[in-house]
Amino acid sequence: MIARRWLALFATVALLLCTVTAHAQQRSVTLWHAYRGAEQQALEQVLRAFEREHPGVTITSLAVPFDAYASKLEAAIPRGNGPDLFIDAHERLPSYRARNIIESAAPALGQLARTDTGPDLEPLALEAVTSSDGSERYGVPLALKCLALFVDEELWERAGRPSLETVEGIAAARSALPREAYPLVYYGANAYFHAAFLHAFGGQLFDDRRGTYAFTGAAALQSLEYVQRLLRDRVVPAEVDGASVTPYFRSGRAMTVISGPWFVGELGDARRFRVVPLPRVTSTGRALSPLVTVEVAYLARNAHAPALAAELAAYFASPSAARTRALIGRQVVATPSAWSDPALAADRILAPFRRAARDGKLMPTHGNMRLSWEPANQAIRRALRDPAATRVALEQGQHRYDDASRPLPSRRSPLPLQLVLGVLALGLVFRSVQRARDPAFRYAVKQSMPAYAYVTHAVVIVTLLVVLPLVLGAITSLYAGRDGALEYVGAANYWDIITARGGPLFTSGTFYAVLLVTVVWTLANLALHVSIGVALALLLSRPLLKLRALYRVLLIIPWAVPSYVTALAWKGMFHRQTGAINAMLAALGVEPVSWFAQFSTAFTANVATNTWLGFPFMMVVTIGALAAIPKDLYEAAEVDGATPWQQFRHITLPLLKPTLLPSVSMGAVWTFNQFNVIFLVSGGEPDGATEILVTEAYRWAFTRQAQYGYAAAYAVLIFGVLVLGTRLLERLTTPPHARGGAR
Amino acid sequence: MTVPSRAVATLSLRAIRKVLGSNAILKGIDLEVSAGEFVVLVGPSGCGKSTLLRTIAGLETPDEGAITLGGKDVTRAEPRERDIAMVFQSYALYPHLTVRDNLAFGLRLRGESEATVKARVEEVSQMLGLGALLDRYPRDMSGGQRQRVAMGRAIARRPKLFLFDEPLSNLDAALRNQVRVEIKKLHATLDATMIYVTHDQVEAMTLADQLVVLNGGKVEQKGPPLEVYARPASRFVAGFLGSPSMNFADARVSDDGATAVAEGLRAPIDRQRFSGLERGRAVVVGIRPHDVTVRRGESSAQGYRDGAQPAEISVPVDVVEAMGFEAYAHGQVAGAAFVARVEGRPDELPRRGETLALSVEAANVHLFDPETGRSLAESKS
Repeated sequence: MIARRWLALFATVALLLCTVTAHAQQRSVTLWHAYRGAEQQALEQVLRAFEREHPGVTITSLAVPFDAYASKLEAAIPRGNGPDLFIDAHERLPSYRARNIIESAAPALGQLARTDTGPDLEPLALEAVTSSDGSERYGVPLALKCLALFVDEELWERAGRPSLETVEGIAAARSALPREAYPLVYYGANAYFHAAFLHAFGGQLFDDRRGTYAFTGAAALQSLEYVQRLLRDRVVPAEVDGASVTPYFRSGRAMTVISGPWFVGELGDARRFRVVPLPRVTSTGRALSPLVTVEVAYLARNAHAPALAAELAAYFASPSAARTRALIGRQVVATPSAWSDPALAADRILAPFRRAARDGKLMPTHGNMRLSWEPANQAIRRALRDPAATRVALEQGQHRYDDASRPLPSRRSPLPLQLVLGVLALGLVFRSVQRARDPAFRYAVKQSMPAYAYVTHAVVIVTLLVVLPLVLGAITSLYAGRDGALEYVGAANYWDIITARGGPLFTSGTFYAVLLVTVVWTLANLALHVSIGVALALLLSRPLLKLRALYRVLLIIPWAVPSYVTALAWKGMFHRQTGAINAMLAALGVEPVSWFAQFSTAFTANVATNTWLGFPFMMVVTIGALAAIPKDLYEAAEVDGATPWQQFRHITLPLLKPTLLPSVSMGAVWTFNQFNVIFLVSGGEPDGATEILVTEAYRWAFTRQAQYGYAAAYAVLIFGVLVLGTRLLERLTTPPHARGGAR
Repeated sequence: MTVPSRAVATLSLRAIRKVLGSNAILKGIDLEVSAGEFVVLVGPSGCGKSTLLRTIAGLETPDEGAITLGGKDVTRAEPRERDIAMVFQSYALYPHLTVRDNLAFGLRLRGESEATVKARVEEVSQMLGLGALLDRYPRDMSGGQRQRVAMGRAIARRPKLFLFDEPLSNLDAALRNQVRVEIKKLHATLDATMIYVTHDQVEAMTLADQLVVLNGGKVEQKGPPLEVYARPASRFVAGFLGSPSMNFADARVSDDGATAVAEGLRAPIDRQRFSGLERGRAVVVGIRPHDVTVRRGESSAQGYRDGAQPAEISVPVDVVEAMGFEAYAHGQVAGAAFVARVEGRPDELPRRGETLALSVEAANVHLFDPETGRSLAESKS
């Protein structure tokens, strides 16, 4: 009896719980974002406030890692397991629309307070979410991100409080500042920063309406010449990259810095500073105008609670939520009425950024914008390094862009390939059947069954880890497409590569030019690895050398350290201003060298790094091989009349050869594909001239809109070159009598 | 066929000393080798014979002493400045070169013209029968063939001096005998000065013009091999040469001075060779197993007159080793092992338990000082 009562009670409670959960499900919203730190904290606070104002509503927020954000959204939303609402930058809007994963934001925008011109939002922010024909708006703009000017109060005062209104005003501080300090510091070789100057001359990086690369023509030229003048007059230091701006400012060597809101976090309390909008260029009368990115709350398609999602999106943009996001999340919120709050209006960082954003230009949203960064960066770097080549650099940029954005090869029918494969498969099946009918063969197979059992695991592992990726890579090379949308195009990728896409075969960036660099790179490295390795091995093999074991360990260390660590260390050593190499040169009275400004020095830096990494292997191999050479051969040679050099030439070298040769061909393959050093040390600088085939393949796959098919074709060609190369090496170095191997 | 050697040289070593670590390897070696002579350095392992050879080659530098080659002081000269050739125990052929190139190696290093090189290689390969091997690599040849190439390499150079470091020790017995004879012929053909190191007494005896017995880093005795064999200067030399080796027994000079006496032994003394021995003096008697004759039907030491009749040795037989052509009877005399060679048909051989009566000529009895081990013969060398 009691048991039955308990059962009834349990059933009732369970039923109740189900109903409540079902009800709650209807009133719940899922939100995805990629916020961290203060921004995330502010967001959570807003969400809790929304929940308090809407009893019975629960909001699930999920912080998704930024790297995989877009692809996760694109995968989850069409399957119906994505969020109702997500926050992302406005640049993604066209891509999300094309993939049909966002909805019109009209329901949310309609709930916002209105001004006489429209919803209570910054016009620029509203423009960011408006479709190009102006008919529809997608998403609620939340915040703006752009560059502003950070001013070191102390230096500024010491320089006699020059005007910060114009670049020329700032430049005038040059004479008043100590030599090691600069009036203006910014990441000059980067297109995102240079865009502010470009806009001041009426140019733009990219024509969003036409979808074309626009960093050409008079404005581009003038903007570069303007910066060149600043460099020449030592208003701006040379070769500043993203990472070196902070040390400049923290150590009091930068009166002003152009940077973004993230810079605040990097400064700490080191300097007394304030933020102001970017200055004007006197000659054009226009302000440096930064690229502006707008944070947008998008309404997802396939939402479970679209109405609630719209309500939440509108709530984000409401003045109260905006105030929270601004004051706690330190966002430059896009809701104008929120700025009437006195605390916000007087904020010495946010308010200037807001003014800077108003002068800004929206970041282009066309899909090809992402293809224009690399060409533009390279053009700027080259022009700033070599003012005489400014025009050429701009033309090259255009050319590179055209190259990366070239129309994809037309789709082909995979039928011929399928036919060939089909015939091959049939032949294989036919042959197998034929063999299987041979009793002798069947018997042989049966006999060797235990042997197969022993090798199965190895075969499976090698198939999975080596054969399969190789085959998949080769198959991918027959496809083309950007951003992972691949279509079968036959051998078109290969054709494009080997014909240099119709251009001259040996201009920079073509397969042949890169191959030449790769071959020179490989030969130079091997020569150094082998000669240094053998020389050190000979030294270490001298029986009279004291502390031999210690030297051996010390010399093997470069090999034991992970190569990327070494590569980064060497990159640091080659830095123009802070590197150890230039410091040593300076101690010798040599002018500092811009290592990555010219092909020869950048290439040398790469080779030096890789030599450091590579010689220990050859040394270890040689020590082993030397120990295997009988001592009496040297004595015989000595008695026969050989000088020490002749002994080395006629005994040591020929007897080292059989051991060294496989190592050399292995070393050749490693060096040919030494991604880490090239990528981390020179990064292809200058202008991609030191790029080798693997890093070039990487660029096609990962910085040029994911052209995986094209990159895969590169990889297959690399594979082919290596197979041919090692075969050739083997043939060249094996004496005729030994060919055919030891049977 | 006589092949002209470039310049047959004399070699002279004076007071050569060599210390490795705390070990004195050579303790003052003096040696004169005249032109065209075949000198064999022989001795047990560790006696310093290889070190001495390497010192002559220049592969080791002596700590003291002087080496003169062809009248020129070469004590500190590099091997390549000495113009000598050496055949190594391991042959030390260059594994990456064909036989032809191995033979030509030294010639090419010395900058001989290709025509000369070709002619010399041809000449040497004919001399040693290497014609069919010229294009082979060392790894494709047998030990005997390699040994031949090693010699060829030395000959091709036509050096002033040939050095051989146990060149036959890696060959099997039959091949060793054959090559030994060839080396002997070669010496005759080339008329060259050769120094040959071995621990094998057969090689030493058969090859040498002059035998140098080394022991503990010193020259124990030198001289023509048969003389060294017949008149060993010390107990060491006596024991080292000859197989089975010489029997030794502690004895005393008899009161009349005519015999050396011990239990079961009464050895006649050649008073001309061993003059002035005190009566009753302790000596070590040495008798080679081959120098005894069996006296059949007699069993005890009695009735021999001093000097006139061979003395008697009586050996209780423990073991008999029959070799077919001869046999060795083992037993004890005066508390030491004694071996006697006996001849005869199998049924005539002594048996275990028998006591063998042996006689020995005074000329074949060697006497040594028990303390120093030196021969007590009047030194006449």
